[in-house]
Amino acid sequence: MVEDTGKTLRPDTCKPVNMPVPIKIEENASGQPVAVKQKRRLAVMTIEDRWRIDDEWWRAEPLSRFYYNVILASGRRLVLYKDLVKGDWYEQEY
Amino acid sequence: MKLLCVLLPHFAWRCETRRGIIPFDKPAIVTYTEGSQKLVMDFSPDLEDLLPDMPLQAALARCGNAEIIHADIPFYWATFNQLLDMLEQVSPLVEGPDPGTIYIGMDGMQLIYPDDNALIAAVKGVTADFAPLGTMGPRMGVASNKFLALLAARFNTTGDCHILNGDVNAFLKDLPVDILPVSMKSRSKLRDFGLATLGQVAAVPSGPCQSQFGPEGKRIWELARGIDDTPFYPRYMEENIEESAALSSVTVSLDVIIVAIESLLGRLFDSNTFKGKGIRSLTLWTRTWNAEHWEKNINFKEPALDVRSTITRIKRTMEDYPQPGPVERAGLHITGLGYPRGRQKNLFRDIRAQEHLKEDIKQLELKLGNPQVYTVKEVEPWSRIPERRYALIPANR
Repeated sequence: MVEDTGKTLRPDTCKPVNMPVPIKIEENASGQPVAVKQKRRLAVMTIEDRWRIDDEWWRAEPLSRFYYNVILASGRRLVLYKDLVKGDWYEQEY
Repeated sequence: MKLLCVLLPHFAWRCETRRGIIPFDKPAIVTYTEGSQKLVMDFSPDLEDLLPDMPLQAALARCGNAEIIHADIPFYWATFNQLLDMLEQVSPLVEGPDPGTIYIGMDGMQLIYPDDNALIAAVKGVTADFAPLGTMGPRMGVASNKFLALLAARFNTTGDCHILNGDVNAFLKDLPVDILPVSMKSRSKLRDFGLATLGQVAAVPSGPCQSQFGPEGKRIWELARGIDDTPFYPRYMEENIEESAALSSVTVSLDVIIVAIESLLGRLFDSNTFKGKGIRSLTLWTRTWNAEHWEKNINFKEPALDVRSTITRIKRTMEDYPQPGPVERAGLHITGLGYPRGRQKNLFRDIRAQEHLKEDIKQLELKLGNPQVYTVKEVEPWSRIPERRYALIPANR
């Protein structure tokens, strides 16, 4: 007999793809990203696009994110977002 | 036929107190939803003014300070099935039509139990954990059919077992017509005719009763005289297979729920639980974030032998019967297994290659543990939240 395991969906079942990765960001007074602090500090040259997502407002932990599509001084393109609920920054492909 | 009926009062409330959701000494109401209406399923014993199935608003008007809990029906059934499993050690003939109501066959038990009292004492011993002895203890009644056994138990508040023998009509004559297991319309019509007790109904000839109430009239008349031919269905001994999982996030998306169910089915088919049999029938259930319960029984014309054929049918059912709200938990209860009549093996090499690949992955997992190879599956490709769009599922499922 297979017992009612009551497990949450763990690696043995399925797992989400493209989870956000925490990243250190230097922001200016208006809250926009100025530089990315990875191994070394890389300045944000251009903010190409920005958009906001508010979702799952009915849940205990609603989603509120402000995304930035930026180009760094190295020429690398990056999609970042600021979690407006917790104030943390993340990197995520959009 | 001699039947013992055991009623466990406030079973749902007791299940909740046993698992610590509500304190034992605090008034509480367990509710369920029917359509858009919230109704009372059960309540703590001190709330004497309440009745099962009454609207929640009416219940709150009578006891506004009661804590409200939404019924967790799968949990009540799981607890009830555990109890029935234990009772099957006392008597092999056990039927549990609803959580809290049990019928036990007493015929042919003389070699194990010298008399009825010994059997009753054994049943009391098993149920003591679910309903302690005393005023809140199990109510027991013995009679020759289900209806009489139920009434004998229901109107027995002494804590002992009420054995109904002798003049059944004398026992029934003063009982109200509201206890008849017939439609609400018929019960109210009986009252309109001035027939308030079973004795009064029994005094009416069968013919007029049938002409007024149709086919139900015959049953009303028979029940009022203590005649009940409802068959006794002891539990069918079959493996009880249950799988459930909490979703990683509350969702309204059918695709996400389907992926979770597919994963549960994969786990079942992989575990060799079915031993070459296919799924003949299953009960699919979900629980929403506000604790509403959704359940559907699905029967298969031909036993389903793999995840693909099972999930196709499940998907169609889920499309036809929408969820009552965002789902946080889904589960399957396999209620029937069966052997297929015939099975056609794949003829084409490329399909066989797929099977070989699956077998290799399975070997790899047996060797290294945990899923090693995953495939990317579209879950909610339209979602604005990137991590909800795709999921990795084990490749061999």
